[in-house]
Amino acid sequence: MKIIETENLTKKYKRYKKQEGLAGSIKGLFHRKYEEKIAVDDFDIHVNEGEFVGLIGPNGAGKTTLVKMLTGIIAPTSGRIQVMGFYPNKLEKAFKQQYAVVMGQKSQLFFELTTEDTLRLFKEIYGIPEDEYKRNKDFFVDLFQVQELMNVQVRTLSLGERMKMELIVALLHNPKILFLDEPTIGLDAVAGKQIRTFLKDVNESRGTTILLTSHYMEDIKVLCKRSIVVNHGRKIYDGGTDMLFENYQKSKKMTIYFEHSVEPDVSDDCRVLEKANDKLVLEIPKQNAEKVLESYIGHYPIRDIGIEEQEIGSVVERIYKEV
Amino acid sequence: MKKYLEIAKAYMKAQLIWRSDTLVDVILAVAKILFAWILWSILFEGKEQIAGLGFQAMISYYIISSYLFQLEKSAEISRQMTGMLRNGTFSKYMVIPVQTQGYFVAMEAGKIAFSAGIGFLATFLWFYLFRIPFVHTANIKILLCGSIMVVLGLLFMALLNYFLGILTLKFEEISIFLMIKDNLSAFVTGAVIPLALLPEWMTAGMKFLPFYYVTYLPSMLFIGKCEEEAVTGLIVLSVWCMVFLVLNQVTYEHDRIKYDGAGI
Repeated sequence: MKIIETENLTKKYKRYKKQEGLAGSIKGLFHRKYEEKIAVDDFDIHVNEGEFVGLIGPNGAGKTTLVKMLTGIIAPTSGRIQVMGFYPNKLEKAFKQQYAVVMGQKSQLFFELTTEDTLRLFKEIYGIPEDEYKRNKDFFVDLFQVQELMNVQVRTLSLGERMKMELIVALLHNPKILFLDEPTIGLDAVAGKQIRTFLKDVNESRGTTILLTSHYMEDIKVLCKRSIVVNHGRKIYDGGTDMLFENYQKSKKMTIYFEHSVEPDVSDDCRVLEKANDKLVLEIPKQNAEKVLESYIGHYPIRDIGIEEQEIGSVVERIYKEV
Repeated sequence: MKKYLEIAKAYMKAQLIWRSDTLVDVILAVAKILFAWILWSILFEGKEQIAGLGFQAMISYYIISSYLFQLEKSAEISRQMTGMLRNGTFSKYMVIPVQTQGYFVAMEAGKIAFSAGIGFLATFLWFYLFRIPFVHTANIKILLCGSIMVVLGLLFMALLNYFLGILTLKFEEISIFLMIKDNLSAFVTGAVIPLALLPEWMTAGMKFLPFYYVTYLPSMLFIGKCEEEAVTGLIVLSVWCMVFLVLNQVTYEHDRIKYDGAGI
């Protein structure tokens, strides 16, 4: 069942184009020139209930504008949009009861109070019955193992701990859709991994539809079966995340440690990234990886070999450029 | 309704966190009474009455009006809304199932409840410990009218400041509106020019504005003066509150749709 649907969704912003200098500012008082910026252009998106979808794109691609329209914060200029059967920008109470937004750099928590206090407040705001509130709270607190942090002033929590609390607050009312904007921004590897595990669990066990916007491709690769790539306001890819990375993964990195110092041959299609007496690091075309590997194994005394996928940032850069 | 009560409670709890601030609030409440006592003792030297009020009535009036004035902190609403709309954090109120107007009024109520409690306690203790005679009306109806007027006055100021905050959806700079509000309020309550110096038709006209009833009239009612204006005051304030409740709802719904700057 489709839970999010847009057709030809477009958002145009009118921007004041100021002329240079003080004279330009004064002139602008009487005669202004505006330019139109198309933030989202003819965008079609269909998300099914229970999906975990990644929304990726460079800065200014239109991701945030799209999420703002889906959550009802801003109105579209034209096109059709429906989320759970509602027109989002009407901001009806019944609509707002059924989704949640978590923004990595903004907070719903009261910094002076404890998370327990904020949860109590959100219980009333969403009209959650006492037994359901207790059940949900215990479930999430247990999942994150944050029992001892519930009565600590939010101000004193670390960034990772705070993000866990933000997620608990957002999920307390069992939203059907969770919009996530950079939930792992600024987090260390351990906290980032915990958040990812938590989100995966929530999506699988509760069937919550999640739309994740992130610049961290690790988040997208680990969590989202489906990815939507946005650039210049247009959808340029919509499909499997594995397929996306597979298609744009052009090369692999091979690190070879030799038994002793050798002078190995390097074929023309390989690029030498590092060369020492007993170590060679090559970037090789993905389709030739097997052949190159065999050629070294057969000809040189090898102590160890490591093959890595291409660095994720380079893949993404290529996706944005080529798609 | 329960959700707004919980919002008010949350903001009240947040105020209680800072013990030093609480202490300063108590000290200020006490200092104000002490200052009034000294000032009016000097001014009343050799006089029975000033502006129709005796020394004790004047002290009572001063303490009540400054207490009410201290409660009125709603200018913070418009400042906060402007800041949040500009830096894109206002959307956090848009995505939760509450009316933003109700949220901000409840927030203000929570903050006021804290100040009111602290101020009342400090004032009561001071009066009691130093046996200061407190002049007040014995008429229960007037006391009730005055109390309702205080609540309506604070509600009106919160609604007015919410309206000024919403104007950020339309205007780049709202400080000019805030300045007009402050000056008008000061003028109508006689803080700029004593009301007695103004022509009668002007003072009569100003009684249709709500500011006169926010701190001035309730203070007078509590000390047993201007009792004949109590009902008029309640009606005028109620009408203004209704007008702003509707105006805020309509303006917000109209302007938020056109506003693209609400961040995420």
